[in-house]
Amino acid sequence: MRKKLKIYLPFVNAGMQETATYRTNWVFWQLGNILGCFISYFLWRAIFVSSENGSMNGFTMPQMIVYIFLMFLTTTLINSGGTYDIGEEIRDGSISMRLIKPISYNATFLFQELGNKIMTVCVLIIPLVAGVEFVRYRFTGEVQFHILMFLLYFLSAIFAYLINFFFNICFGFIAFVIKYLWGANMMKNCIVGFLSGQIIPLAFLPEMAKKVFLILPFASLNYTPVMIYMGMYTGTKMLMYIGLQMFWVLFFWGLSKLLWSVAIKHLSVQGG
Amino acid sequence: MIEVNNLRKEFKKTIKEPGLKGSVKSLFHPKTEKIAAVKDISFDIADGEILGFIGPNGAGKSTVIKMLTGILTPTSGTCTINGKNPTHNRKNYVREIGVVFGQRTQLWWDLPLRETYGVLKEIYEVPDDKFKERMDFLNEVLELEDFITSPVRTLSLGQRMRADIAASLLHSPKVLFLDEPTIGLDVVVKHNIRNAIEYINKKENTTVILTTHDLADIEMLANRIVMIDKGSNVFDGTISELKSKYGQIRELNFDTNDSEAKERLVYAKHFKVNEEDVIVEQEGNMVKVRFDSSVIPVSDMLTYTLGKIKVNDISVKDADIEEIIARLYKHEVG
Repeated sequence: MRKKLKIYLPFVNAGMQETATYRTNWVFWQLGNILGCFISYFLWRAIFVSSENGSMNGFTMPQMIVYIFLMFLTTTLINSGGTYDIGEEIRDGSISMRLIKPISYNATFLFQELGNKIMTVCVLIIPLVAGVEFVRYRFTGEVQFHILMFLLYFLSAIFAYLINFFFNICFGFIAFVIKYLWGANMMKNCIVGFLSGQIIPLAFLPEMAKKVFLILPFASLNYTPVMIYMGMYTGTKMLMYIGLQMFWVLFFWGLSKLLWSVAIKHLSVQGG
Repeated sequence: MIEVNNLRKEFKKTIKEPGLKGSVKSLFHPKTEKIAAVKDISFDIADGEILGFIGPNGAGKSTVIKMLTGILTPTSGTCTINGKNPTHNRKNYVREIGVVFGQRTQLWWDLPLRETYGVLKEIYEVPDDKFKERMDFLNEVLELEDFITSPVRTLSLGQRMRADIAASLLHSPKVLFLDEPTIGLDVVVKHNIRNAIEYINKKENTTVILTTHDLADIEMLANRIVMIDKGSNVFDGTISELKSKYGQIRELNFDTNDSEAKERLVYAKHFKVNEEDVIVEQEGNMVKVRFDSSVIPVSDMLTYTLGKIKVNDISVKDADIEEIIARLYKHEVG
């Protein structure tokens, strides 16, 4: 285990250095996301202002605003580019260079991304959490930050990231068949965005759809950690959803291994 | 060391009819066809040998190399390297090989070169003292010193190629695969790289498989050539065997004051051979005659020429390997 860690640690380091090299790109990327987040904020504010009572489906306006910013924070934390990276490597054939090394294909992606994640978390988490707490304070007039809740949220976000990572890897393997993934990736992002509650809280959906969506792996991505942070999942309910997250991590980890062993036999390297 | 038996690789290819109509049609009813990039290739390589693996563009060289390095799974046939099958337990197998694809890099694009070696050290679990020793050695052979602290994206092609070769040798592999290691390099760098390969082969008895389009690489390095075309073996043997088998082409050069020498020398008629067997070119005083010495003996050729016109100076040249291979690629012989 220790030996293995030593092999993959340089990938974490490399991921960090890569992020640092293209820091301007990173800043613009994050700025773009923050702008998107404000668009949702103004949209939902307009919806709440025009509604007759101040609450919709159990959400008050301040809660909704907290939800939007938490969603943004969580999406940033758990975002994974595995699908895109695999797609690109297959499209330009550079996958060969990873295959000639005695390392696990999936693990190199995981650790490289972890490096870039560490940079993102270090820079973003404090201002974002402070921002969310400030919004909560402004609307409710009291500080609601609990360190335990935050740690549970963080744990849940780690599971969510792992689910997202392995799910994206599995999806990326489609590139072995269709060669270029950009379009399929866009479609996937839209569907996952909807099913994971990024666009509309799952609580807003009809009862039947909600039940189904909550069991699907996508709710385990963004929705579960956000609900934990907001204190909407507590006690056994919270444990159950964290358990479900763990199940999905294992499921997609296993699936990615299986798909890899099938996909590698069908690899045809493009370009030279 | 390396045994390759009846290796075959097929790819599925979608056939699209021309134009927009064809595109729409192939969207709904894609027609696929199996294409064998490698049909049937067999060869053996002994321990410590340098094998020149050549063939025209699209002959299937890279596909074979990719199967030998465990990247692609063969459709049928087997390859055994060091007693191991590349596609079974890839991770274990690739520890013993080094690979350079001249058109790609295994170096970390955004990191200083030194860091890539640091990563490779951990990947291959090279102990600290061995690593230091190895880096000193590679530094000496490939002269990495000047750019080892620069990010890889800022290296010139020649520097990058040297760095790539060093990366493939860091773990002292038993087999080294070089796929066009001198592509796009200037003569000096080419020369350095050839020397480095030769030196490492001699010193560590590393088996080398080299594909290249630069036949000087082959002449300088390879003990043996395997030539393939359209996915099948064409030739397997040493360079001198290649020369004696196909290299009967000689070139006769002479200097004459006779401006109509070309018209006067009717070789084809005189020796009763086809026009293509003797090619005469004249440029001012210089006349160049290329002929097949297995059809017309050199002595007869000289006797006839000297008897026909007045010659100031004369020389006979051996066929060079480049020409033989060009003829093989164009299917003029074989």
